[in-house]
Amino acid sequence: MNSFYLVTAMSLLLISTTNAGDTAPGRTMARQVLKTQKTWITHDHSKHKILQQDFKNGSELTDACISCHNNIDAQFRKTIHWTWLAPDPETKRIYGKGGDSFNNFCISTNKMKDQSCLDCHAGWKGIEDGINCLVCHIQEDINWKESFSDIQAFLAEKDDPESLEMAADIQQEIRDAFSHIGQPARSNCGGCHFYGGGGDGVKHGDLDTSLIKPTKTLDVHMGVDGKNFLCVRCHTTKAHHIDGRLYTVPASLNRKSLIEDDLTSKITCESCHSSTPHKSNSKANAHTDKVACQSCHIPTYARVNPTKMKWDWSKAGKKKDGKAYKTKGAFGKYDYMSIKGKMKWEKNVQPQYFWFNGSIKSLTGKDMIDVSQTVKLSHPEGSPDDGYSRIFPFKVHRSLQPYDKINKTLLAPLLSGKEGYWETLDWPSALEKGMEFSKLPFSGKFDFVETTYVFPITHMVAPKENVVSCSECHTRKNSRMDGLAGVYMPGRDTIRLIDLAGWAIIFASLAGVLLHGFGRIVAGRRKG
Amino acid sequence: MGKKVWVSCLAVLLGFCFISTDSVFAGNKRKGKIIYKKVYKACQARGKVQDKRPVLSPDSKTQAQWKIVFDQKKFEQFGCKEEWDQLTDKQLEHVFTYLHAYAADSPAPAKCK
Repeated sequence: MNSFYLVTAMSLLLISTTNAGDTAPGRTMARQVLKTQKTWITHDHSKHKILQQDFKNGSELTDACISCHNNIDAQFRKTIHWTWLAPDPETKRIYGKGGDSFNNFCISTNKMKDQSCLDCHAGWKGIEDGINCLVCHIQEDINWKESFSDIQAFLAEKDDPESLEMAADIQQEIRDAFSHIGQPARSNCGGCHFYGGGGDGVKHGDLDTSLIKPTKTLDVHMGVDGKNFLCVRCHTTKAHHIDGRLYTVPASLNRKSLIEDDLTSKITCESCHSSTPHKSNSKANAHTDKVACQSCHIPTYARVNPTKMKWDWSKAGKKKDGKAYKTKGAFGKYDYMSIKGKMKWEKNVQPQYFWFNGSIKSLTGKDMIDVSQTVKLSHPEGSPDDGYSRIFPFKVHRSLQPYDKINKTLLAPLLSGKEGYWETLDWPSALEKGMEFSKLPFSGKFDFVETTYVFPITHMVAPKENVVSCSECHTRKNSRMDGLAGVYMPGRDTIRLIDLAGWAIIFASLAGVLLHGFGRIVAGRRKG
Repeated sequence: MGKKVWVSCLAVLLGFCFISTDSVFAGNKRKGKIIYKKVYKACQARGKVQDKRPVLSPDSKTQAQWKIVFDQKKFEQFGCKEEWDQLTDKQLEHVFTYLHAYAADSPAPAKCK
């Protein structure tokens, strides 16, 4: 009962401070930052002679780029976008897709030996060939690797004029695209990041193709009917190192606004909105030291497209009439595939909340696991007492994935290619091959273990009228913060003595008012 | 003599068995892909469709369904009639080979990207 009054009062306070005009200082500040949001291109690359040739392969294209941008090769090859490695000197682990990191989707790239994973690498042939600059820098929808493979195949048919004409057509298409070279668009970044895990929206929950042309309702920053931010507006870049990645090191080591440091990265909300973005009398400002902005401003994720929430590899390998098969479930997404197992998709999902200091603790293929409980393959680090952590929303993806029964480590099957599981449906050979490529031991004995893997939810920021309301957290039953320890939350938590004292004061006050009123009535009658 | 004929027949039969499904159809799937995409590029250029991406991907249908579409020339579902009408029989054969090779029940189902 008391929580009801408390939440009502808080809600009224919040409404009174958020609805009285559009002058929250955080918003005003962010608008100042955006005053010069337009960028001007002063260069038409298609006019360059070197780009007017008939390119036959990717390497020729890279050479053309490097002939002018002569520092880019050395610069880009140091970035995680190229190496797929994030070494941690403290744990002596090599994290990253190209290292020992595992996830609970397609599990591993087998140290970049799995060819299907390499589709998303910005090189023509993994790290053994030149950089494909245009996969990020051309705002045209071109499948580069396929285009060059087609050109080479058509050029090989020298006696067929139709084939040569088709090769010339593709080469012309490539040349035409050079007039669209510039900053990466959402579709460039999304070409890989929206398809993480092997399909649209599989991995992240807050990153999928709905963000290519989102409305403001889906994301206030990227909405094409609003500010129309590109990814690089917040993911600021220095020498091709792009802010925002998370392994052991937080995406941002400090939460500074541009007022404090005009050269700070813009990766945090505070960069543009400050740490007290709401109006001066708003209770919401008192939350920002312990509650991340995303916790209230992203009520749900996967609001347009569904995201994968569960992947059971142990069910893979079934056949119908001797053949691999697949079935579609809710949202028209595959819920069973012989090559992948059983999967569960969800839409409009409420995040789970954890204390988060910005770092994610991940296990690798070298770490021993305790199979008697769910293995936290990746989990947010932080605590309410470290003075830095805040309550942050996450997607938690669950999986049943293979592990080594003797070595007690997770296993990385080879999936694609002729020897991969997707072709053979043979676990022992796919695991053996995968672990061999990954340079990790495998005893030959395996089973499946339940794992969880987390993704911070930070995109799909809702308009202010759709934010999480006070009563969704400050409530005894079904609070969003259920189970989150280390903080006393009025409305959710209770101290019996204080409750009793409160009720006693209310009853005493009521009794006082009634007695006083009764006394006045009696006294009035006597006088009358 | 009879034995020779018998062995030859068996060899021809075995030869047929080893011919891949792709080569049963006379078209060229790579050419088919380019022609198929060109249809929608031209269609977009004359303002008939907004997206140059084809409305149907190879994995939109099974191999048997694609065969019915092309056997019965049910091309209305592709839209862009003007461009479809201009395709020669040979070009249609290439397109069919492409769609059939990457159909939903093929070894490598594909989407048009």
